[in-house]
Amino acid sequence: KGRRNQKSKNRGCVLTEIHLNVTDLDLGYETKEELIFRYCSGSCDAAETTYDKILRNLTKKKKLVTDKVRPACCRPTAFDDDLSFLDDNLVYHILKKHSAKRCGCV
Amino acid sequence: VEPVLSKGNNCLDAAKACNLNDTCKRFRSAYITPCTSSTSNEICNKRKCHKALRLFFDKVPPKHSYGMLFCSCRDVACTERRRQTIVPVCSYEDREKPNCLTLQESCKKNYICRSRLADFFTNCQPESRSVSSCLKENYADCLLAYSGLIGTVMTPNYIDSNSLSVAPWCDCSNSGNDIDECLKFLNFFQDNTCLKNAIQAFGNGTDVNVWQPILPVQTTTATTTTASRLKTPGSETTNNEIPNHNDSPACANLQVRE
Repeated sequence: KGRRNQKSKNRGCVLTEIHLNVTDLDLGYETKEELIFRYCSGSCDAAETTYDKILRNLTKKKKLVTDKVRPACCRPTAFDDDLSFLDDNLVYHILKKHSAKRCGCV
Repeated sequence: VEPVLSKGNNCLDAAKACNLNDTCKRFRSAYITPCTSSTSNEICNKRKCHKALRLFFDKVPPKHSYGMLFCSCRDVACTERRRQTIVPVCSYEDREKPNCLTLQESCKKNYICRSRLADFFTNCQPESRSVSSCLKENYADCLLAYSGLIGTVMTPNYIDSNSLSVAPWCDCSNSGNDIDECLKFLNFFQDNTCLKNAIQAFGNGTDVNVWQPILPVQTTTATTTTASRLKTPGSETTNNEIPNHNDSPACANLQVRE
């Protein structure tokens, strides 16, 4: 309710949502229940810090050949509330940390 | 994914709708978790399960909570799902079935249970001469009082998959001289046309008019605390939904959490 789903593209790292069947998740559950899956997507270019710049430069100069360093990545910084559902055999299941609530470049 | 709302299973549709609503989803998981977590020597922590169930019915708008509890069914897959709504293996069933009058006594020792049982007897009182079969002619109040018992020692549930008969987890064996009183108590749950009609009306989305008194039956019954849990439906009752009285507390809670 609180957060509106940002629609604009290439606007950096944002929370996006998609309506799915629980079976679409391929976690092995047999149920007809559904969910809203929220995920983080978008570029983290804007969030680049001096730290990221240094790493990029050092990698280019091959001073960090052994270590794999990654630039900032658009990831969940908080997860959505748990999701529960009843499967076809009348057994309840609970999914935790399955869906993003907030995103950030980390 | 195309949101296929099949005609067959209203209880499944209600569960889907719940998980697509942030409030309902949150409070549903909040009771499924304690009601399905076994402890070292018990099947679950019944006290925590009951508390979370009460919270679910207190905080979630009736459109969603009643949608799962009072959905109308045509097959066993649906009625079984409906029976599982309150996680009966934890919240309902017990090793032994106590006598209903004994159970009533333990209910009366608890403030919440005592007042909610009184609400139930007041608001679901059958009256064969009235249009609705209810003395109070108000289905919403009856459903509210019934759902209010969920999460107390008097927690009721559907007793079989072919009818809308409900009962708390008790029977009338070993009643002695009180057998008539016990059966009267139990039958108020099991064989209550007012409650059955109210559940049916919600499930079918019909009979909105009966929620408002048409020809009030003369009554001297005192008003009870139900009014504080749900105001009598006013002019906002233009659709088939019970007024959404819980929105503000639920939102307030959400804001606090954010």
